[in-house]
Amino acid sequence: MKRSAAGLPLSYRLAVVSRSLAALLGGYLLASLVSVCLALLLPLPQVDATLTGLMLSFVFYLLAFIWCFACRSAWRAWLGVLLPSLVLGLLGGFAYWMKNP
Amino acid sequence: MLSIALIGYAGFAALCLAMEKHFSELLKRKPSPGKLRVLRIGGWLLLMLSLVLAVHGRGWAHGLVEWIAVLMAGVTLWVFGLPYQPRLVLGLAAVSLVLGPLLAVLAG
Amino acid sequence: MKEGFRQAMAWLHTWTGLIFGWLLFAIFLTGTLSYFKDEVSHWAQPEVRRHALDPVASLGLAQRYLESNAAHSGSWMIRLPSEREAALNVGWRDPEGGRRGFVRKDLDAQSGQPVEARDSRGGDFFYRFHFELQMPYPWGRWLSTLCAFIMLLGLVTGIITHKKIFKEFFTFRPGKGQRSWLDGHNAIGVLVLPFHLMISYSSLVLFMYMVMPASIMASYGDTSGYFNDLFGRDEAPKVANVATPLVPLAGLYAKVQEQVPGARIGFIQVQNAGDRNARVTFTQSSADNVPYQRSANWTFEGATGELLKQGAPESATMMTAFSFAGLHMGNYAGPWLRWLYFAFGLAGTAVIGTGLVMWLGKRQLKHAKQERLPGELRLVEVLNIASMSGLILAVAGFFWANRLLPVALQGRADWEVNTFFLVWLAALLHAVLRPGRRAWGEQLALGALAFALLPLLNALSTGQGLNASVPAGDWAMAGFDLTALARGLFLAWAASKMLRPPKPAAKRAPKAAKVSPEMVEVQ
Repeated sequence: MKRSAAGLPLSYRLAVVSRSLAALLGGYLLASLVSVCLALLLPLPQVDATLTGLMLSFVFYLLAFIWCFACRSAWRAWLGVLLPSLVLGLLGGFAYWMKNP
Repeated sequence: MLSIALIGYAGFAALCLAMEKHFSELLKRKPSPGKLRVLRIGGWLLLMLSLVLAVHGRGWAHGLVEWIAVLMAGVTLWVFGLPYQPRLVLGLAAVSLVLGPLLAVLAG
Repeated sequence: MKEGFRQAMAWLHTWTGLIFGWLLFAIFLTGTLSYFKDEVSHWAQPEVRRHALDPVASLGLAQRYLESNAAHSGSWMIRLPSEREAALNVGWRDPEGGRRGFVRKDLDAQSGQPVEARDSRGGDFFYRFHFELQMPYPWGRWLSTLCAFIMLLGLVTGIITHKKIFKEFFTFRPGKGQRSWLDGHNAIGVLVLPFHLMISYSSLVLFMYMVMPASIMASYGDTSGYFNDLFGRDEAPKVANVATPLVPLAGLYAKVQEQVPGARIGFIQVQNAGDRNARVTFTQSSADNVPYQRSANWTFEGATGELLKQGAPESATMMTAFSFAGLHMGNYAGPWLRWLYFAFGLAGTAVIGTGLVMWLGKRQLKHAKQERLPGELRLVEVLNIASMSGLILAVAGFFWANRLLPVALQGRADWEVNTFFLVWLAALLHAVLRPGRRAWGEQLALGALAFALLPLLNALSTGQGLNASVPAGDWAMAGFDLTALARGLFLAWAASKMLRPPKPAAKRAPKAAKVSPEMVEVQ
C-alpha cells in the first residue's frame, strides 16, 4: 500500500474502518442469518439441520469478510452484506413463522 | 505406517523433480519433457499408492488422517532439507522408493 | 481497495495478521504444548507414581474410596489411569467443597490412597490458557474464537495472495534475507496447510454453539433442547430413598468389554450411588476413536447391574461435527502421531511468528538509514519481542516456579501461574528498555539457559532427572527433560544469530526449520 510521508488521508482511514465494521458486524449478521435459514429449511432432522447451519456459518462469514475488502468501495461492502441479510432475514422469518404459528 | 510415509516421501520427491527448475538444480542436467512427465505421473501414482495402503491398513478414519500427517511431515522434511543437504534428501528418496514398497509387502 | 483482488487480500492478510498475530502466537504455542499436557502434568507433579495399568483393580479402589468418602454426594465421577495419565482420578459433587461445587482427588492407582502431590495446574494451565486466555468466562473464549476465525481468514487470504503457490511449492531459499523469511513463511504454511486449516476450522466448530447461537435459538428456542438432541441426554433418575448397595463396578466394566472388546474407558459416572435408583454410565475413552462418539456410552442400573441403554447412534452430520472436535483435540493420537501434532502445531506457531517478523522487517528496511524507528514500528518491535521470546521465557518461568516454589506453599498452583505472567511482563519491560536486536538476543539467550537447565533443576530437586527416568522407562518424564534440552539448544542457536552484529546475508533462518530437528530427534 502506498503511504505518503504525511500519513494517510482521513477519507481512506474512514473507509477502512467502515469496511472493517461491515466485515465484522455485517458479516456476522449475514453468517447468523445463513445458519438460521439452513437450520429451519434443510430437509434434515432438527438437530442435524441446526448442526449444518452452525458448521457452515463460518464459511459465509469468511466470504463476507473477503467481499468487504475486495469490493470497490465501503458503500458496496455494506450493501453486499446488508442486502443478502435482508433477503435471508425475510426467508428465515417466514420459515420460523411457518414452524411456530 | 512407515512404509506409507516412505512411499509418500518418494512420491513428493518425484513430483518435485518433475519440475524443470528443481530437476536441473538438483540433478545438474537438463531434463527432457518425457522424463519430467514420467516423474510427474510416477509421483502421483506413488502418492495414490500410499493412500490406498493407509486406508487398507487402518480404515478410512485413522488411515486418512495418518496418511495426511505423514505426507505433510515428509514433504516438509524434503523442502527444508533440500537447500542444506540435497544429496542426503535425494538419497533418502531413492531409499524410500525401494524400502517403502518392500516394507509394505513384508507387513502383508 | 481499488487495486486488484489479490492486492486487497494481501492487504487484509497483512493487517489482520499483525493485529491478531501476537495473540495468535500465544494461542498456538500454548495449544501446541497442550498436546502433551498429560506429560507436562506428570513432570509438574512428580509425586504421582506410574503403575502398570489394571483398570479392574483401579475401579475397585475408586469405588471403595468413594463409598467411604463421598457417600453423601449424589454424583460421582471416576477417571481411570491411562498410558498418559498416571493417577486414578475421582470426583464428587459437593456444594460446599472443591472448585465450583465439585471435589476432585488423585488417588494412587496401586494403593487407592490419595496422592500427596504438589499443588500445580501442570499441563492443564497451558491447555486452558489457549482457549480461555486467563480471562473471565466467557470473554476469553469469545476472543480466542475470534482469533481462530482471523487465523482462518489469514490462511485463505494467504492462499489467494500466494500467486506461485504451485510453482513455489517446493521452494525454500535460505540465506537471502527477507526472501528467505517469506519462503519459509510460505513453505511452512503451504506444506502443512491441511493441518492449519483443520485446526482453525475445528476451533470454530468447538465453540460454534456459543459464538453463533442464532440457529439454535431459531430452531430450539434455547440450548438445552439442542444439547439433549445432540448428546441424547436423559433426565437424571430421581432418588428413591431406598438404600441399596451399588454393584461392584468391575462387573459392569466386564459387561462393557463384552460389547466392545479392548475398549478403553474414558470416565465413569455414578448417579444416586447407594440408592435403588442408582445409575452408572461408562463412556469410552476418546483415545479409541477419531471422532467423539455419543454411541460409545453404556448406562447400567446401579443396584442390579442391568444394562439400560447404549448411546444412540450418530447421524452423518453429527459425525462430521464430532470429527472436527476429535481431530482438534487429538486424543486418539498414539505416540508418533502425537509428536507430529506437536510438530505441526509448532509449524503453525512459526507461520505466525515469521509473519510478524517479516511485517516489521520489510518496513524496517525503509527506515534503515534513520537512527530510531518511528513510534508505531517501535511498538510493533516491542510487541513482537514480548509476545514471542517473552512468551517462551514465561513458559520456562512456569516450570522453574514449579520446581522452586516450596511444596507446602499455600496456593502454589496460582503462584506458578503468577510467575508465568510476571516473567512475561518483565520481558515486555525489557523489550521496551533495550534496543530491538539486543532484546531479542538477550531474551533468547536467557530462554536457552532456562530450558537447557530444566533437566538439571529437575534432577537436583526431585531426583527424577534423566539419570533416573530413562532407566526406569518413565518416558513422559524423560521426554519432557529431553524436549526442554532441545528447546534450549534451538534457542541458543537463535540467540547466537541475533547477538552477532547484523550482516545482510546472514539473517537467521526461519523458525520453521525447527520442525525437522524436533521430529527427527525424539523418535
